[in-house]
Amino acid sequence: MQSAASLPSTLQDALSHGLLKRIPLTFLPFVNQQLHQWDYLFPNERRSVERLLLYVASLTPGQSSELFHDVVRIEDKMGVRSWQFSTSEQTISNSAELARSPYFQEWRRAVQAVFDRADQYALQMQSHLVRSPNRLVLLIIPRALPVDQTTVWRRWQGIGKPLTLDLRNDAQQPDPLAFLLDGTPAQPASGLLHAALVNPTASAADTWFIDATPGLADHLAAQSSPSAPSQTVLLSYQRLDRYRQAFSHEMNTMRKDLSDADAVYDRLRKVDVTPWCPPEVAADPAVREFVRSLYLSGNGAVIFGNSFVEWAASEAFRRARPRFLAARFGMRSKPKPFTGVAVFDNPDQINPLPAVDDPPGSSVDAQMLALYIWLAAQRFDEYRKSTVCICIAESIAEAYVIAPPEFALAGQSGPVALAPLRDALQSWIA
Amino acid sequence: MEKSRTAGAPTAPQIGEDPSHQSESSRRAFLQAAALLAAGTMMPLARAHEDASSNTRSGQKVILVVIGGVRRAESFSQEGIQNIPHLFGDLLPHALFYPYARNEGVTAHFNAISSILTGNWQRVDDWGKLAPTTPTLFEQFRKQHRVGPSDTWVVASNKALTSLIGASSASGYGPPYGANVVFPKQLMLTAVVDALRRGRTANMADRNKVEAELESAMEGSNYEGLGWNVFDAAASLDPRVQASLKAAIANFVRGGGPTSGDELTFFMTREIMRKFAPSVLTVAFSDVEVAHFGTYSMHIAGIRTADRLAYQIWQEVQSNPAYRNKTTMVILPEFGRDPDGSSTNGFFNHRANEESTRDAWMMALGSAVEQPQIIERPVLHIDLCPTLAGLLGCSPLETQGTVLKELRV
Repeated sequence: MQSAASLPSTLQDALSHGLLKRIPLTFLPFVNQQLHQWDYLFPNERRSVERLLLYVASLTPGQSSELFHDVVRIEDKMGVRSWQFSTSEQTISNSAELARSPYFQEWRRAVQAVFDRADQYALQMQSHLVRSPNRLVLLIIPRALPVDQTTVWRRWQGIGKPLTLDLRNDAQQPDPLAFLLDGTPAQPASGLLHAALVNPTASAADTWFIDATPGLADHLAAQSSPSAPSQTVLLSYQRLDRYRQAFSHEMNTMRKDLSDADAVYDRLRKVDVTPWCPPEVAADPAVREFVRSLYLSGNGAVIFGNSFVEWAASEAFRRARPRFLAARFGMRSKPKPFTGVAVFDNPDQINPLPAVDDPPGSSVDAQMLALYIWLAAQRFDEYRKSTVCICIAESIAEAYVIAPPEFALAGQSGPVALAPLRDALQSWIA
Repeated sequence: MEKSRTAGAPTAPQIGEDPSHQSESSRRAFLQAAALLAAGTMMPLARAHEDASSNTRSGQKVILVVIGGVRRAESFSQEGIQNIPHLFGDLLPHALFYPYARNEGVTAHFNAISSILTGNWQRVDDWGKLAPTTPTLFEQFRKQHRVGPSDTWVVASNKALTSLIGASSASGYGPPYGANVVFPKQLMLTAVVDALRRGRTANMADRNKVEAELESAMEGSNYEGLGWNVFDAAASLDPRVQASLKAAIANFVRGGGPTSGDELTFFMTREIMRKFAPSVLTVAFSDVEVAHFGTYSMHIAGIRTADRLAYQIWQEVQSNPAYRNKTTMVILPEFGRDPDGSSTNGFFNHRANEESTRDAWMMALGSAVEQPQIIERPVLHIDLCPTLAGLLGCSPLETQGTVLKELRV
């Protein structure tokens, strides 16, 4: 990963005036890593780093000492200076040292307080900020995954309402998600994809499509306009198969040679992944690195398609704050005898028995992970007020809708055909 | 850093099943129901009898079964009991049950289990590169009673443990007094990797050949590659151990049943009980940890497996003369898991400083249970070691944990 060359001039000025000398030890791995990877950050992440560093730069030395007073005091109690603590990047051993400390929670609170003050400062400086745009989270549990109509939405605990759908559509498009995205042949502008891309406030990484299957990516590749790749992030678990296989192979190979997990991760951070990427991922360095970090951060993204969908969506919210995110779950296979899931290679390579689908298990996973995607969005201010979340369970022709009262279908219980649903969603994000 | 930041951000509405958000009344209602069930099916239990041949020892045996990270929501809650039919239906009526047994230490496997085993909150390396710093139950027992190495065992599925779980770094204690430690699941993984490397993957689809692959992995040039530590041997397994484990593998493979790591751990545990009848046995299951890969359905399946296998261990205790009427068995999760909506991805992980993660329960069965009852008083995981040490007739060491007085012989 090369050093970033495109830092804003204000940030470069601040850094050249010794800004980093004011930053506490435990902040440095994060700050240095973000600066080093600037070219691979999404716009939202760049703004966050800028806010923090320019805020610190705006302070007098006395004020910045006061800002970091609690963090430094806790670092002293933790004894961070006696640790083998990397200041250049976040490492597993850094995290383990911090988490093991009895002062870890206190440290987290102090760190949070610093970021809060930087955010308050940014708000004061940008009083002209426009209203947060409307956002849409669209989740699909496909027809192949059976759900129980009486229990499917129980975990959502009444935060939204079920909406009966009429999934017959008149566009000869059997895929409800594709129908919602495309619009009609006569009026492509009526689709959600068009609405997301032509929005005047749309920026890079504002629209995300995450799919356990290759279907959506294949469909959009056939539809995409020349402008699409710069604004749309398209991730398909199955289309990333080569990336995933090569990555896990590297991981297994290195495990035999390196005992230190940080060394393994360091190697994987530097592997050139471009040859393994499908075109829609290879084209964007930030997305390429996003996938790398997904695989490095675990949570099953390398192994299970539905885990990949959930973790990619959660990380997209955290890092990019997209205005429109659509995620579709899929089928996983049953674990094979004697291999389980404890090995990272392709189970088909390890055990020649044919893979067998697990529809009920996949469905249970998808139901839980759909909720988790919504909860992940809810951790951020941007999604708390002006966001519609709709989770469609195709097998029962029903959706669960969480929406502000202004949403056109907020009070409706159905049945609603896909066309009016598409129109309502389109007008929400237009 | 970013994760820390988001972790501290205002949190999402807690709409998950974290029982800490259930009303106190519903919690009590559940407990009352459980208590009624216990009362309705209570049966007189055979009292433990002292083993006259044990001299300074109490003659008692203890078995500790830890089952990984399991939230109350998926276990002892109104919705969760469907996942634990044996614990709830078969064992609870005979148990001393602590519904609130908390982990107040590091909620990672090695530290959690070593805290349980030592009675002190351990803060060593999460991945088992360092031994616990205070004496384990095994060392206390072996040193005080001059007991041989075959009498204390750890059988564990969990990959986060190492053989250092068997003995501490405490002065005057350590490996000479430690437990034998075996990791059956590692045997399975090694067999898979070997088969892959040697182009014999077809064997993994054939039960007859799987047995040979597992035995081959066990008889490999250096079994320490499996991470085991048995009888302090360096190069090869003790023949008695090898015979036992081969029997376990045969039962595992030929039985035609499920083939997860915990199943193999169970079969090896049972063989060790039959061959060596250790006085102190710790079994660590970990199928539930598939949760780290994000599949909730398989996590639930892991809970059901642990429920069944814990029951089967208890059945072995009841039928094995070396254990019957002189054994106390304790079952508990190492911790819960993170709550739905946490920045740590909910059930996937167990590192949030949340009630859902620290909240656990503990069930005791057998000779130290005078009468089945539910003790609502919160207890700590570190209370277990001094309690079990007392049951084994060990003089108490100074620990952070305190003795649970309800458990006595």
